[in-house]
Amino acid sequence: MSFDRDARAALADGQLRGALRHATTLFGERRRAAIAEVPDWEGARDRARAIKDETLLHLDRYLEQFAANAERAGAQVHWARDAAQACDIIAGIAARRGARTVVKSKSMATEEIRLNAALAARGIAPVETDLGEYIVQLAGEEPSHIVVPAIHKTKGQIAALFAEKLGMEPSDDVAKLAAAARQALRRRFAEADLGVSGVNFAVAETGTILILENEGNARLTTSLPRTHVALMGIEKVIPRFADLEVFLRLLPRSGTGQALTAYQSLLTGTKRHPADEGPEEFHIVLLDNGRSRMLASPVTRQTLACIRCGACLNACPVYRQIGGHAYGSVYPGPIGAVLTPQLLGMGESAELPYASSLCGACRDVCPVKIDIPAVLLHLRAQAVARGGSTGTRALLERLAFASYAAVMARPRLFGWLMACARRLHIVPPLGAWTKWRDLRPLAPRSFRDEWRAGLRHEGGR
Amino acid sequence: MRSEDARREILSAIRENLKPRGIAPGSAVGSTGSADPGPATEGPQSPRKSFRAARGSKERGDVVSSFTERLAADGAQCTVVRGEAEAAGALAGILSGAGARRVVGSDAPLVQRLLRPLRDRFEMAALDRLSRDDLFACDVGVTTAQWGIAETGTLVLESARERSRLLSLVPPIHVALLSTRCICESLGDGLAHVRQADSHAITFITGPSRTSDIELTLVVGVHGPQTVHVLLLEDL
Repeated sequence: MSFDRDARAALADGQLRGALRHATTLFGERRRAAIAEVPDWEGARDRARAIKDETLLHLDRYLEQFAANAERAGAQVHWARDAAQACDIIAGIAARRGARTVVKSKSMATEEIRLNAALAARGIAPVETDLGEYIVQLAGEEPSHIVVPAIHKTKGQIAALFAEKLGMEPSDDVAKLAAAARQALRRRFAEADLGVSGVNFAVAETGTILILENEGNARLTTSLPRTHVALMGIEKVIPRFADLEVFLRLLPRSGTGQALTAYQSLLTGTKRHPADEGPEEFHIVLLDNGRSRMLASPVTRQTLACIRCGACLNACPVYRQIGGHAYGSVYPGPIGAVLTPQLLGMGESAELPYASSLCGACRDVCPVKIDIPAVLLHLRAQAVARGGSTGTRALLERLAFASYAAVMARPRLFGWLMACARRLHIVPPLGAWTKWRDLRPLAPRSFRDEWRAGLRHEGGR
Repeated sequence: MRSEDARREILSAIRENLKPRGIAPGSAVGSTGSADPGPATEGPQSPRKSFRAARGSKERGDVVSSFTERLAADGAQCTVVRGEAEAAGALAGILSGAGARRVVGSDAPLVQRLLRPLRDRFEMAALDRLSRDDLFACDVGVTTAQWGIAETGTLVLESARERSRLLSLVPPIHVALLSTRCICESLGDGLAHVRQADSHAITFITGPSRTSDIELTLVVGVHGPQTVHVLLLEDL
């Protein structure tokens, strides 16, 4: 993975940047309009964060409570230490149930564990059913946005893709494209033996999982096949059923600017009578995959409060220019830049904490007030401490900072050096920083000189 | 039993990482620090009260009218009727207006009563012998809704009350019958009213199925119904 190279490639793609500008601006505007309707938006953010903080501090307790209640209602709960274990569990269920086709609704966690590849390797065909995810899967690509996975593709490209893969008449009519996908996916839903979904919230008190969506594919995925498997990160649990209210207020408004998405499915265990609708078996897979590690410090712990709304992507000046693919990770944008190195380890993604100008726009829009810049700085410090950057450049950097510290701690040395710099018209070499920016020339007289002279020039410049 | 091992490992990793740092092992503070949870029901106050206080309580009529306004904003249709006779007439009008041929009704007694007189005008699919293909061939699904939420124009369907989960989803048109008495003011009220323990599936529905996945252009009816029609029954 090379963030630098991929970001440059994205910057050279005019069509991609146009699509990104349009999408992120529109989502930003819709979000602002939607939160203006809420009487106490700041209070809601604070409450949501307080609920998340409390849950995370007692995560073991709430997870056990959730698992016990889900099992009592008829669900089968599985625990997966890492991605490989989670894939094994889900593939094992599929094999035991004789599943050949698996329908999937949108789930970042399944992308995280690379479930599709794991299923395909075992001869099981995974079918993405969210329209955006379906397009991305047909094209053999990766999602580029948490909420709008195919944000990088034009309708012309999608029309050509559908003509090739689905045999439809090429058309630029978006409604026709959606109808073609509906028709093709109805056939897959009819034949599917297993449905795999994600989870937005899991209620400890009742053992309920909640899934939000707009299309209805998650409802089909969780009600048509004989078996439903829901994959969730261990941080998705919240204590009480009533806590859902505040999160339902925050998530759709932050994600798509809707007061509520078209559908919320609240699923608790299996059907009570054989004649009822719904799957016979309901499995919940709890995924750690690096999450428990993040609990260790309050700085990293807050990453686990994320509700995956995507607002920070739309607000981020870096994401708005380069889109999701350049991050080279499942989770893009500011949240991806802090989540990915913590989930996968620094070795895989040491560049990502630097993919930010630390402007703080992500922190301002985050519905659960995650201080993403603080986490970025924490991770940068870690990247430096573990010596990820070696070689001449790192050595020079360390030398430069050591000299800077030495000079700044000695006022006389500082004054003397500045006087020299002023006389010789030297601007300190700042490398890449000055490549694209001009540094203001030094004033003929320093502030200190002016001060000592008693501010005689006060009023004139 | 790998999952059992994983369970133990994950829980102990969580406890290990939540232990307070920088305190000598064995000290009193270290062993009873923040990793010791209080009762699971404590914690931050439920947010519901403050939301309601911020908005004040509304009159019944206002709640119904804000519900119908929100429905319209969400792209759902709404017809208000008084009594079952009027409801049956309105339902027939909706079905013929939509050009429906095959109709499937849920097992709710009200739905059955309203659909019975329409048997000779529309082909009625039998719920008990409904195969997946039969269901996919239906034009309209008729169900009741247990609750409405005025704040968002949302219908709430509980699986314990009727078999409505697929009927409200698969056919291109969903007609939902709702009593005005069952309209709650806010999302929090709706969550408080649902009989969570009885239903393995509770579905909140706000307008038709929708997507903006292609160039952010809104398309309705992508996987679920294109049309949601609420037949709102006023008290007689």
